[in-house]
Amino acid sequence: MRRALGIALWVLAVAAGIAFFLVLPRFVSDFHSRELAQAGVFFIAIVGLNLLTGYTGQISLGHGALMAIGGYTTAILVTHEHWRDVWTIPVAGLTAGAVGFLVGIPALRLSGLYLAVATFGLAVAMPSILKKFSGLTGGSEGLVFVEKAPKQITGLGGSVTIFGHSMTQNHFLYYLTWTIGLIGLTIAWLIVRGRIGRVFRAVRDSEIAAVSSGVNLAKIKTLSFALSGVYAGIAGSLLAIQTQIVNPLSFTFLLSILILVGAVVGGLGSLVGLVVGAFFVQYLPDVSTHISERPGVPDFVYGAAIIIVMILLPSGVGGFLRRLARPLTTWLYTRP
Amino acid sequence: MKGISYVLAALACALTLATAASGAGTATPGVTPTEVLIGGTIPLTGVASAYSTVGLGAAAYFRYVNVHGGVNHRKIKYLIKDDAYDPSQTATDTRELVEQDHVFAIFNSLGTEQNLATRPYLNALKVPQLFAASGATTWGRDYKQWPWTIGYQPNYRAEGTIYGRYIAKKTPKARVGVLYQNDDYGKDLLAGLVRGLGKKGGLLVSKQSYDVTDPDVQSQIAKLKAAKVNTLMVFATPQFAIQSFVYAHKLGWKPKSYVNAVSSASNIMGIATQGAGKKQTEGSISIVFLKDPNDPRWAKDKGIKLYRSIMKRYKGVHPGNVYNVYGMSVAHTFVEALKKAGKNPTRASLMKAVTHLNVKNDPFLLPGVIVHTTPTDRFPLDQARLERYHNGRWYSFGGLFRVR
Repeated sequence: MRRALGIALWVLAVAAGIAFFLVLPRFVSDFHSRELAQAGVFFIAIVGLNLLTGYTGQISLGHGALMAIGGYTTAILVTHEHWRDVWTIPVAGLTAGAVGFLVGIPALRLSGLYLAVATFGLAVAMPSILKKFSGLTGGSEGLVFVEKAPKQITGLGGSVTIFGHSMTQNHFLYYLTWTIGLIGLTIAWLIVRGRIGRVFRAVRDSEIAAVSSGVNLAKIKTLSFALSGVYAGIAGSLLAIQTQIVNPLSFTFLLSILILVGAVVGGLGSLVGLVVGAFFVQYLPDVSTHISERPGVPDFVYGAAIIIVMILLPSGVGGFLRRLARPLTTWLYTRP
Repeated sequence: MKGISYVLAALACALTLATAASGAGTATPGVTPTEVLIGGTIPLTGVASAYSTVGLGAAAYFRYVNVHGGVNHRKIKYLIKDDAYDPSQTATDTRELVEQDHVFAIFNSLGTEQNLATRPYLNALKVPQLFAASGATTWGRDYKQWPWTIGYQPNYRAEGTIYGRYIAKKTPKARVGVLYQNDDYGKDLLAGLVRGLGKKGGLLVSKQSYDVTDPDVQSQIAKLKAAKVNTLMVFATPQFAIQSFVYAHKLGWKPKSYVNAVSSASNIMGIATQGAGKKQTEGSISIVFLKDPNDPRWAKDKGIKLYRSIMKRYKGVHPGNVYNVYGMSVAHTFVEALKKAGKNPTRASLMKAVTHLNVKNDPFLLPGVIVHTTPTDRFPLDQARLERYHNGRWYSFGGLFRVR
């Protein structure tokens, strides 16, 4: 009986979540849907990083670089090959996944902080790499879709029609991003609760114990990096589609750090809290500049806010929710 | 490129319709009987937040104008969005200003890549992109393709030309060597120098470039010394400019240095002097077009007095920072343009005013510097004076140079 109730509660929560996602644009201004879509980009990247860092225990400070791979794949296909922007998303994901796989190879020899530093190197180098191949990437100017390939932008005219249903471009971007985000979340959830997820966690908790239980460490680590790269690539691609530009300055190491901040605030090793992590990263700059525009103050507020959140929620929003729901879950999952 | 105009027109139509449908109702977005709403992006946070006073200085000047009655009884409201110097963020923020806040014009957005990222969008919608805070030449040069865009400060090419002309005239036996950043900024300065040298192009004996990502410019400086250069052009950002003084000092080499305006702020020259010694920076040359609030010569100047009182009364920050003066000057120019745009300004009338400027009384610019534009001359500021570094301070000398 309690088990059935537990499942029913789950279904209800998921249904409520989906309903909230569907109607949210009605309650905010049209432009605000675009900001929500941008939060969705962070969300997708954070879910991917969480698979790697939260579940497999591999710290990456290079996810901004993987987003750059995704974003530039989209931009190059749109501006040079004249693909329609949305069709580039899978290619961008796979390309970044392949790069993520390659990044995972040094991870076989490095662990902990050393891996973090190595991936950070990638994040720092990425803007220069992008400027180096200026024929392809547009150099320091980057690529501006409206200038180079306006016909490939979905909804440039202001509205998009899908299955006879017309919506504004901002709404389209919101639904596109968050649909992909929720599918990504579901896939991540399926991975985490299944066999692979258990192996991921085994590697995180003790590599030696995992190997002695027969886990192929090389396979699992590179798989985790590749999977996480796919998420980052899709996020980067969506960012490019939303802003209709790519530029090396958009993919500095700060982006990598922002994604990690989002994952930590959302709660490593949890999935639901990540939505909050994404919103935190998206809206904190607005809030901090709103408090004061004096030079240095927004940066200070920003840093202070992160410290306060970490003191109050040491295990992130995910951990907080888990603690909050503990009486309920204990009641649901204990035999009467 | 040909198909673009058609698509851009379609975009413009659709968005205009959308804007009209959203209930704005009035003919011109951002203009009401009591207010003119403008906006722009400024890096308030992140790596380039040192430039934030470019926006804050302008905001302080608008507050001053509003208290004194505004323009045609309209107060100027200036929305600053923080883009953290990230062009993607600039693109989103600019859309927000246009589509959600319905600003009249984009004003004083900072950065070359940042303004390039929004230029096609703003031109498609015919939203004025005014006084881009960047020294790239394209803002003034490419107006035929981008008629709704205009820059403000003297461009890098013009600056290089000023140095070239001065060298060709005053030191015809110089052996000129150039250290330049390997991107549009450095190349614009170099191209200007070559143009300014003109027939004396042979004076240029060595060109050494560096990439922003290089750790230092030690080897470039050594090569310039080996080429027996005696006149060193430092077309580099502050960090590398300081290095070039320090490495030259280590090599016991004392060329006459020209420092581009990007790196010639007093505080940067101070660091270079600390690292390389007084003799190394003494006699360096740069250009100047604003009144430096630290310069005792302007202590009793009307413009700088006004500047100080505005900074005090309208919550300005860091009064010693020359970027504030820049912000006030560009705001002053906007006010003049708005006055000229008529009692009921439209985006078109504002653009017309902006391309017919002849402002001779800007209190924040050096005496004699005129903000001047015509429909075919889109470089508002194209005058500057040379200045020489002496005893830890810049002293301007000679007359005004005028170049495009």
